[in-house]
Amino acid sequence: MRPLSETEMKTMFEKLANYTGASLNQLIAPTSEDGTEGERMVFRLQGSRVYYAPLALVNYATSIPRDQLLCIGTQIGKFSKTGRFFLNITSLSVIEKHARFKAWLKPNGVQPFLYGGSVVRAHIGRWSEDCPGSQGIVIYDMNDTPLGFGVTTRSTAEARKLEPTAMVIARQADCGEWLREEDTLFTT
Amino acid sequence: MAPTKGSAKGASSGGGSSSKPLSSGSRVSKSSKNNVKRPPPKEVKNKARTERENLSKKKKRVYSEAELNLPELNTITPVGVVKPKGKKKGKTFVDDKEGMMTILAMVNAEKEGQIESKMMKARQLEEIREARKKEMEARQAEKKSKLEAAKDSIRNKKKGKGVDKSEPATNGSAKSKPKRKSVAFA
Repeated sequence: MRPLSETEMKTMFEKLANYTGASLNQLIAPTSEDGTEGERMVFRLQGSRVYYAPLALVNYATSIPRDQLLCIGTQIGKFSKTGRFFLNITSLSVIEKHARFKAWLKPNGVQPFLYGGSVVRAHIGRWSEDCPGSQGIVIYDMNDTPLGFGVTTRSTAEARKLEPTAMVIARQADCGEWLREEDTLFTT
Repeated sequence: MAPTKGSAKGASSGGGSSSKPLSSGSRVSKSSKNNVKRPPPKEVKNKARTERENLSKKKKRVYSEAELNLPELNTITPVGVVKPKGKKKGKTFVDDKEGMMTILAMVNAEKEGQIESKMMKARQLEEIREARKKEMEARQAEKKSKLEAAKDSIRNKKKGKGVDKSEPATNGSAKSKPKRKSVAFA
């Protein structure tokens, strides 16, 4: 387990910034409710996976052999062998707090999405105004429960004119992966 | 061990005894030189080390390479060979808050710019589309009004002629009907 190098940190932040706004710096320097500086949070690379955890926990983890350490804190995603970074569904809890653009699914669209399908226009209950095309977006159901995230195929204005069956959000990760990818979710 | 020590001592003592006559010899030569008349020796006062002049070190002149007129060597070094000295090998980790913050700020600014430009582009395209739509609508309306005008003019023409020509027109049509060829089965 080691800290991320500069380039790795940059590629990871670029991916995260697709979905989040400027409040992302809360990840690094979290402030507690009373305004004081919160617990120090750090990113660590274990194998090819990146974890986000409080520093104290990371320090405890040094006593565990590297090959036996399965997971620590919240898993953000993984680096491919070519150096690209992929966000995992496990990072949803981190992303959704700072999401820049959001889409809410109608109840009839939730199941198709959780089974790995993309979002069609008819299934969208409402979504953030002024959202450009090919932009990361976090998907919620109508009760504001985060379901996953994806990438918009059209801007909001363009999507309004589309037919109801047209795809408007390409799925990147959904909560169904917790079950579907159970075997490979934490393997390095 | 012991004999060697003893011999060493002996040698040293011997050396000391031999040096004495030499020194006396030198004195003799000095005395002979004293016969030559010389100006009385002046007392030269050595300046103390702490004197200001002694304290300030004289700078040695440093020659630049051009001044030395050295023959030029082949100074080309391949790009990959020379590595900066004193630099850390391998990856540089970012684990401090400030480092992460700077990277994040850079990335955020970049993304912000990208999104802004995307939105601007989308807005411009939308404006162009709206303008085109309006133009089309205007053209359509113009066409329609033209058509209406043409229709009205025809109607008016008909109305103008209508009062006296309506009957002949109907008559004409009535008359023309029989002229039409018709096929009938017997």
